[in-house]
Amino acid sequence: MSDVLLEINNLKKHFPLRKGFLHTVNGSVRAVDGISLQIQTGETIGVVGESGCGKSTMGRSILRLIEPTHGVVKFEGKNILALNKAQMRTMRREMQIVFQDPYASLNPRYTIFQTLSEPLEVHQLYDPATRRQRVYSILQRVGLDPSYASRYPHEFSGGQRQRIGIARALILNPKLIILDEPVAALDVSVQSQVINLLEDLQKEFNLTYMFIAHDLSVVKHISNRVLVMYLGRMAELASSDKLFSQPVHPYTRALLSAVPIPNPRARRVRTILQGDLPSPAHPPSGCVFHTRCPLAQDVCRHDVPEWREVAEDHFAACHFAEPSSEVFQQA
Amino acid sequence: MSNVLDVESLSVEFCVNGNDFYAVRDVSFHIKAGETFGLVGESGCGKSVTSLALVRLLSKLAKVHGNVHYSGRNLLKLSDREMRQVRGNEVSMIFQEPMTSLNPVYKIGAQISESLRLHKKLSARDAFQQALEMLRKVGIARPNEIMDEYPHQLSGGMRQRVMIAIAMVCNPNLLIADEPTTALDVTIQAQILELMRTLSSDYGTSVLLITHDLGVVAEMCDRVAVMYAGEIVEQGSVDDIFFAPNHPYTKGLLNAIPKIDAVTKERLQPIEGNVPSLSRMPKGCRFAPRCANAMEQCKTESPELFDVGEEHTSRCWLSKPKEANA
Repeated sequence: MSDVLLEINNLKKHFPLRKGFLHTVNGSVRAVDGISLQIQTGETIGVVGESGCGKSTMGRSILRLIEPTHGVVKFEGKNILALNKAQMRTMRREMQIVFQDPYASLNPRYTIFQTLSEPLEVHQLYDPATRRQRVYSILQRVGLDPSYASRYPHEFSGGQRQRIGIARALILNPKLIILDEPVAALDVSVQSQVINLLEDLQKEFNLTYMFIAHDLSVVKHISNRVLVMYLGRMAELASSDKLFSQPVHPYTRALLSAVPIPNPRARRVRTILQGDLPSPAHPPSGCVFHTRCPLAQDVCRHDVPEWREVAEDHFAACHFAEPSSEVFQQA
Repeated sequence: MSNVLDVESLSVEFCVNGNDFYAVRDVSFHIKAGETFGLVGESGCGKSVTSLALVRLLSKLAKVHGNVHYSGRNLLKLSDREMRQVRGNEVSMIFQEPMTSLNPVYKIGAQISESLRLHKKLSARDAFQQALEMLRKVGIARPNEIMDEYPHQLSGGMRQRVMIAIAMVCNPNLLIADEPTTALDVTIQAQILELMRTLSSDYGTSVLLITHDLGVVAEMCDRVAVMYAGEIVEQGSVDDIFFAPNHPYTKGLLNAIPKIDAVTKERLQPIEGNVPSLSRMPKGCRFAPRCANAMEQCKTESPELFDVGEEHTSRCWLSKPKEANA
């Protein structure tokens, strides 16, 4: 494939579980367990899943904010997991992150100007006068008045703070931005302002987004392709249109059918999943979804389903995933 | 149909630094027997304050005006002792955060039995039996063991089921559910909504459902009130609100959300600006600064709720009957 910006191969993050006085390792939480993915320049890849499925850990492992246990992450063909600290820091100019909580992710003791100019200072870019110019122009670009630069985070609303978070990611002119639940903390009327801003910025700067969220409607709206994760593993990957119109994995189907639709006359067949998410410290044998899957057979309890191409550019990990098979027909 | 609850011009005032602010102003609605009434709005619009005011759970610093009629009594006029007999018995509540609303040092069984012993005067053994029965009804596997566990041992979905069990165990007439599924994942949310639907129809309980999620409203409610900046701006049946919205704010909200069933990708139409803060409330219509249709009149005079259909009202000057442009 041409123009692959980021290539992830069998990425794993296992957190050790320690026990007792000597803190001996007696197991691990498999937060991310074998993710392989290619991201093209300029696309938005959505990542969805329930809380605890490892989507945020994956996002952070890619930037090495959490050191992955295993795997390869290639950015423009270069394995970034092999870089040393200084090289990695330079590399981070190209890849930035926006966090969910706009209250916790800004330093309350820094003015907005300090927050936004810090990345430029760290990377020793520009002279002070140009830095000032950059900060003002980026503030304007995200829809905030440059005069706000001297204010502190507490003086802003949630939506404005998220704009500042986006400005901070943008100021280094990165190629890839990982958006970790960027609109989850915002009210609906403000959420759409931020989504539109993200779309405009992507076009203007040719950005590549990894959009991590649990809100399926938002992910469908913004993404070109969508990855569904369950318990640290990939369940299904397809173009946004295909995934939402013809999902093949039973988990994706259940997830989609669970979303309340803002239309009182919408009538759907609902697959309500029983039970809770199993613990990633003791993932079920075979297919990790079999404990909640309405279609589980014996084979699911023993064999891990392989990741296969069910239809063109449509991947899933399920023994029974077939394109538009009768069993799965959803109303 | 008779009304279970009648709220008449409820206002809540808070005094901050010597200044009085209205968190809720002139809110009126009624809930009919057996129906689910939705109160929607963004954070800070006063929907939770409204629900807390109804059951008198606000601090003494809040000044509450108006009338709340419940089965021939005015809840705001009852003594504390009388109110305690209503709360948790005839009117019960579920809150958003199932971890903080359960007592961490009591076992699940004790927390469910408590209201049975208090309100129904049951013996410890009978209360325990009924509590166990209730746990089974809310779909908890292994209810016998769960009775003996503490809240921290349960998952979020299970805690919310326990909350529902506590709320429903005395067979209340009215259940107030304040964002009951906001902290939960979608698949768990679907389970909990389904459970609330079955229980309320089995028990004939009316529900006041407070939420910010229009999807949840569409799925659960019969009638809806939309709140903005402490006021009800529009009230009607779910069909009115979703298919014939009248107030510019309601229309704006509906246009601002991405639709999962959309066939083509359209750009979202956000409502520009932010919700005004209580201390800087606009003088006229509270939505005027963000409204595309704002006129001179909107900036100075606050509109009242005008009738725009059968049981459908809207707080907008454009809907004033004689101007015929609604």
